[in-house]
Amino acid sequence: MFDFGVRILAQARFRPEFIWENRDVFLSGVRLTVFIAIVAFALATVFGLAVALLRMSKNRLVAPLMAAYINIFRAIPLLVFVVFVYYGIAIQFDVRISAIQAGILVLTLQYSAWLGEIFRGGIQAVSDGQTQAALSVGMSRPQTFFRVVLPQAIRIVIPPTGNMFIGMIKDSSLVFIIGVPELFRVSSVMANRTFRYFEVYLGAVLFYLILTTAAYFGVKYLEKRFALVDVLTTKVRSPLARRRGIRLRMLQEAVAAEREAESSRTATAI
Amino acid sequence: MGPTEDARPVVRLRNIHKSFGANHVLKGIDLTVGQGQHVVIFGPSGSGKSTLLRTTNLLETPDSGSVWFDGKEYGPGIEGEDLPRGKARLLRQQIGMVFQQFNLFPHITALDNVALALRRVKKMKQADAELQAARYLARVGLLDKVAAYPAQLSGGQQQRVAIARSLVMEPKVMLFDEPTSALDPELVGEVLAVMRNLAESGMTMVVVTHEMGFAREAGDLNIFMDEGVVVETGGRELYDDAREPRTRAFFEAIL
Ligand SMILES: Nc1ncnc2c1ncn2[C@@H]1O[C@H](COP(=O)(O)OP(=O)(O)OP(=O)(O)O)[C@@H](O)[C@H]1O
Ligand SMILES: [Mg+2]
Repeated sequence: MFDFGVRILAQARFRPEFIWENRDVFLSGVRLTVFIAIVAFALATVFGLAVALLRMSKNRLVAPLMAAYINIFRAIPLLVFVVFVYYGIAIQFDVRISAIQAGILVLTLQYSAWLGEIFRGGIQAVSDGQTQAALSVGMSRPQTFFRVVLPQAIRIVIPPTGNMFIGMIKDSSLVFIIGVPELFRVSSVMANRTFRYFEVYLGAVLFYLILTTAAYFGVKYLEKRFALVDVLTTKVRSPLARRRGIRLRMLQEAVAAEREAESSRTATAI
Repeated sequence: MGPTEDARPVVRLRNIHKSFGANHVLKGIDLTVGQGQHVVIFGPSGSGKSTLLRTTNLLETPDSGSVWFDGKEYGPGIEGEDLPRGKARLLRQQIGMVFQQFNLFPHITALDNVALALRRVKKMKQADAELQAARYLARVGLLDKVAAYPAQLSGGQQQRVAIARSLVMEPKVMLFDEPTSALDPELVGEVLAVMRNLAESGMTMVVVTHEMGFAREAGDLNIFMDEGVVVETGGRELYDDAREPRTRAFFEAIL
């Protein structure tokens, strides 16, 4: 206050507690980042599945159309795409759309193209013999897809899809450019107001790290959840698996007893 | 041993043609399978044996010809005939198929592999479906493997599960497409034993195989195919005195 030079020096001193003191600002940004990432990813997953299925369609019009969709939306830089949609299209055609909606829309479009390709790869990696076997026992096409092909494809695509979700958390920061107050936007506003650039951006980096690390462990957990465990020969901890083990053992005993009775009956008949 | 020639026909293929692009794979196949009959098909690689089996349960749609099964027409049909038509799905529920590569569903247990169609096609309750599935696994000697996943099973065990998966639907006909040729030699026996049992129980079977021991023993009707046509058909005597030089040459080559 009395000496300007001293003040600048004082500000330059690293004050890690600054991050803690402003946690509410960071957390409001984190909340929006998480919201955008989850909503856009959920939508992109649904659209991505549709894109993948249509891309594999035998229709001569649909498949190339979807290929074009994929190639176009993957090829535009996200930052440019966001600005184009929010400032370009929305203003030119007078579309009433909030910045958050525009951000989610763009992320969804681009990620559905990426995910569509991942899903298509996963579905095509399931061998044709699986479909033939399912059809051969009389299952319908939809049953074959949902009960046999899709569950196997899901296992294949969990790791790359998880990486895409982590990418979504990071990419969601790009919507700062249209003023969406997510983590990066609130951080840069705070930094410009307080001049505490180092503390603020360190805080932002830490929060992004926490989010992506949490997502990483979430994906690992899913991979484990989807792993195949023989409940009779493996030591299982989940109560559900244990109950299933007990049920299967009872089933084995029932059938064994049935066969025993059967064979003694035919023996006495002879 | 086998049923007589005049056994009631269950499957009748007439003048079946099938092409993949320019590749004319089946060139007018005729085949009648009688109730309880055991048909063995053999022939060189690429002669169309697998395609013929897949056409029989409409995994491939024939370009022309009649696939008649149990009183109904399922294929394109023969011009001028006006038989009642059936849906492919209904046909497949009544014809089982066993594949060279087993094609078990790797993401579910052996029990669920067998129970799946009972649940989804026959709409049985879970408990009933599982009990029935366990009975069929016991029939192929794999009651202890109910909770195992396909990857944990040997090739022979996998193929026996695959047989149980088809049998549990109580099909009227079973198709086998080289069921033992992907197996290590020491595992062939256990699968053939299951197939022998099935043949003795009176199941109608169409088997593509190069296991000549099994073929001689079980084959009531033996068919030699080459380049998309039936070259020669015969009873048990076919193996010892085939008329066609191509058939003889084939036997000499594989024995
Ligand atoms: N789905 C398909 N698409 C294109 N061509 C096919 C298809 N299935 C089979 N063919 C072709 O049809 C011909 C006959 O094949 P098929 O599998 O019926 O012969 P096969 O007698 O079973 O031979 P193998 O003893 O090797 O199993 C081959 O030339 C094969 O390349
Ligand atoms: Mg074949």
